[in-house]
Amino acid sequence: MGDSQYSFSLTTFSPSGKLVQIEHALTAVGSGQTSLGIKASNGVVIATEKKLPSILVDEASVQKIQHLTPNIGVVYSGMGPDFRVLVRKSRKQAEQYNRLYKEPIPVTQLVRETATVMQEFTQSGGVRPFGVSLLVAGYDDKGPQLYQVDPSGSYFSWKASAMGKNVSNAKTFLEKRYTEDMELDDAIHTAILTLKEGFEGEISSKNIEIGKIGADKVFRVLTPAEIDDYLAEVE
Amino acid sequence: MSEVPPKGGFSFDLCKRNDMLIQKGLKAPSFLKTGTTIVGLIFKDGVILGADTRATEGPIVADKNCEKIHYMAPNIYCCGAGTAADTEAVTDMVSSQLRLHRYQTGRDSRVITALTLLKKHLFSYQGHVSAALVLGGVDITGPHLHTIYPHGSTDTLPFATMGSGSLAAMSVFEAKYKEGLTRDEGIKLVAEAICSGIFNDLGSGSNVDICVITKGNKEYLRNYMEPNPRTYVSSKGYSFTKKTEVLRTKITPLMERVEITEVGEAMEE
Repeated sequence: MGDSQYSFSLTTFSPSGKLVQIEHALTAVGSGQTSLGIKASNGVVIATEKKLPSILVDEASVQKIQHLTPNIGVVYSGMGPDFRVLVRKSRKQAEQYNRLYKEPIPVTQLVRETATVMQEFTQSGGVRPFGVSLLVAGYDDKGPQLYQVDPSGSYFSWKASAMGKNVSNAKTFLEKRYTEDMELDDAIHTAILTLKEGFEGEISSKNIEIGKIGADKVFRVLTPAEIDDYLAEVE
Repeated sequence: MSEVPPKGGFSFDLCKRNDMLIQKGLKAPSFLKTGTTIVGLIFKDGVILGADTRATEGPIVADKNCEKIHYMAPNIYCCGAGTAADTEAVTDMVSSQLRLHRYQTGRDSRVITALTLLKKHLFSYQGHVSAALVLGGVDITGPHLHTIYPHGSTDTLPFATMGSGSLAAMSVFEAKYKEGLTRDEGIKLVAEAICSGIFNDLGSGSNVDICVITKGNKEYLRNYMEPNPRTYVSSKGYSFTKKTEVLRTKITPLMERVEITEVGEAMEE
């Protein structure tokens, strides 16, 4: 269609009205490890596969789920290094907001500012879009919230969502299993089952990561021991 | 001609102007200083910080119960003497930087980190940020106590005092401090030192605030002692025996009542 002739420059629209670099960024996300999030009635859970390139890698040193503030956590699918940069920027923005207004940043505000950063990288010279999609889980005055942010800078609020390799199976599974009045523990079980769906090999506490936030408004990454407990309950 | 915003750093232009005005005889406006007695000491299990609670604006007491012990990190607190706005702003800023740093490293903040961030900031402002601080905390390397002067120099000490009441407080420490104090002995000594400042220095007064920091725990004892209670309010209340008699009543309305009658058509929109 002539699209390929426009794929070199980020800031040029193709004749079909697309920015081809962003499409490619979404492909990078789509080939990343599966991650998902579920919003329960009293909290949010996010989870991801943690497949390491070799058994020699020290899996305790790898942490894919990160804190942005005490009550907001984030997970990604796509390129790890891009995620690190975004996390750093988001943490700084949250801290600046806190200093200016002396209140913890609302989840929507932080998501919007992060999305703005990602959009800037789609409209500047000499840079490329981030090759990650983020799932932001938070609990503030408006209750539990789950947002997905894409490389283009668009963001959506979800009741449950998945990203990465196994996205279509995972989303179908979630559509069947999701209920409005789910509690946080049920949501964690559902998250594990969803990850199990497309999992290659044996699922264990060493190759998945789960983060949750409840009504106490404190985001926590579960320890491997806690994940083992939940896995046992699911069996 | 477009205005280029300054690239950063302090612009000393106004300081030159101020010096010139003072030489010409202008009286500089007085700012809210904290007068102050602030102290810190290291005891067996950690650090104890103490402060008075009077904020002065020249000869007037501006705040009878202000908070001079500022939060820096869960394991680090900082007492501030000097200009109240400066101590608040600088401790707030460094506390924010420390929090960001904790997220990046995943570790608890160290006292020496807070010390370095503060002294670098104060030095770059060449003493114009009038904040004299007593910084104390317990981190992975143990308990630490430092003093920081407005120009950016620092000391590391087992016991320290700052502020206009520092000599009064230091005399108490020099007489009674010893290594390996217990928690209660330490709190008693700090309270004594602050009281010495409260009673002997005009710039310090009101109550005693204390903060005890140990490994993994902190206690902020706000208004630990109140040696200056307000006694002028009568506890009995006031009763007036004779009611005022009403002799005559006359009401004068301040505005004339105006009647509006609509004539003609309303204006077209």
